[in-house]
Amino acid sequence: MGSVYKLALRQLSGRWRLLITLLLTALPVIMGITWRLIEGDRFPDNDFQDLALNGMLAGVIIPLVTLAISSAAFSNEIEDRTLANLTLSPIPRWKIVVPKLLGALTVSGAFLVTSAFITSYIAFSGDLDAVLAVTAGAAISVALYSSLFVWTGLMTTRAIGYGLLYIFLWEGLFAGLVSGVRFLSLRHYSLTVMHRLDDRLFSTSEFLSTGVVTGAAVTVFVIFLALSIRRLRRMDVP
Amino acid sequence: MTNSETMNNSTGSSEAVIKVENVSRWFGNVVSVSDVSFEIKPGITGLLGPNGAGKTTLLRMITGLAAVSDGNITVFGESVRNNSSLYSRIGVMSEHETVYQFMKGRDFVKMMGELRGVHDLDNAVDKAIQLVDLADAAYRPMGTYSRGMRQRMRLAATLVHEPDILLLDEPLNGADPRQRVHFQNLLQSYADQGKTVVLSSHILEEVEQLADTVLLIVNGKLAASGDFHAIRAALNDRPYHVRVVSDSPRDLAAALVKLESIDAVNVEADGEIVVLSRNVRDLQIELPRLAKLADVRVRRVEPLDDSLESVFGYLVEG
Repeated sequence: MGSVYKLALRQLSGRWRLLITLLLTALPVIMGITWRLIEGDRFPDNDFQDLALNGMLAGVIIPLVTLAISSAAFSNEIEDRTLANLTLSPIPRWKIVVPKLLGALTVSGAFLVTSAFITSYIAFSGDLDAVLAVTAGAAISVALYSSLFVWTGLMTTRAIGYGLLYIFLWEGLFAGLVSGVRFLSLRHYSLTVMHRLDDRLFSTSEFLSTGVVTGAAVTVFVIFLALSIRRLRRMDVP
Repeated sequence: MTNSETMNNSTGSSEAVIKVENVSRWFGNVVSVSDVSFEIKPGITGLLGPNGAGKTTLLRMITGLAAVSDGNITVFGESVRNNSSLYSRIGVMSEHETVYQFMKGRDFVKMMGELRGVHDLDNAVDKAIQLVDLADAAYRPMGTYSRGMRQRMRLAATLVHEPDILLLDEPLNGADPRQRVHFQNLLQSYADQGKTVVLSSHILEEVEQLADTVLLIVNGKLAASGDFHAIRAALNDRPYHVRVVSDSPRDLAAALVKLESIDAVNVEADGEIVVLSRNVRDLQIELPRLAKLADVRVRRVEPLDDSLESVFGYLVEG
């Protein structure tokens, strides 16, 4: 699996991809610094939490960056036909999918989790409970979106388009308008984790129970991982 | 007797390692491969057919990259689809340049060796790279290689685990004449070790130089299969059109028409003559002699029916 993991890391670490990721993940950090400069030591209020953590980090940057990186884990190889190099090897399909997913998680996680950590550390003045909550919520969000978008990249050559529709329509619009949709919203799982680890975060919102969110998150991650393995087993590899 | 029957079957007494039984593949309403059956034994087998005939689809199904719509394919008696363990015995080189541009040639071969569980990896990698004569370029990124070099490094990656079966789709694309000879010698020595090489090509001469047995695929169907020389002999019996350019076409036409094997001689408006011969070998021998007797200078002799499509057309219709 080490060879496939190293290959995935190299393939997903193109200069332009990393540069754009760096710029995007710097935005919440800049917001955190701005808050600190304007508000001094005051604990970030609901407006900041909604704008920087929910709206920007959990709502846009994490899903967009994971979409760009995770969907490319397979779609680029399908496009340039190098995927056959892996599938024509005497290794089971899960030993291709798992390191690919880990590679996507490593690249996007390195930027996104670091961004969440630095943003919260600055915004919450080093309050460890809040920093841990935001960082853990971001990490779980990265894992879930990565699993989903790796599968999307295997299913269609238009993964970016479908991914954007999903992010802005499902996660952005429907999950905000229809309360029932939150049960099936990865963003909501991430915010729930933040709130459960530090109840000062998003204190005015309603969340699912810890057990339900844990079960749902594990199920989503495992289901999309299993679907990716199944897809790679059944598809015609170009 | 049909052409297919005439040319059946593979030579040699060894067991078939690849069995294709009534295999079809369709994409929507388009039938790419239709009810094809054959067996492949050790040695070099040429998969021959015009572009778009279905060779690549067939090879992809044999390798397990693509599913069959109907029928059955086995390699070493096992179904190849979703049977990844078989790939330790199979080496596949597709027609596409499936290389990682950023990767150094040696790293590519090494990665492929690792994936195939090769023991004594470094030695195996060096040996494979030396086989394709690319040791000097092994530490350069493959993005800097010429097309021929990429093909050779891909072949090294295909050979690194010393597979029992080599499946090569249009492997000589982009190779210069020297590389072709090297490549052909390499495949020949591989086959001499009792291994199986399946080579796909749309160029008759390429397969002729290498393959003991050929499978002719036309419009997704197996038009003929068997010993290459039997197919060649069958082809020699068909009428051939040959264009002859000379400084005195009418005199030459008058001389040629007396030959028994000539069915017709047409003098074209531009002064060239087109000869319809039932025996090309006879024409090859007689044309210079008759030209000399008639004191005619022959400038060019050009076979008009040697394109693969016309050969296949004859075989299919024949």
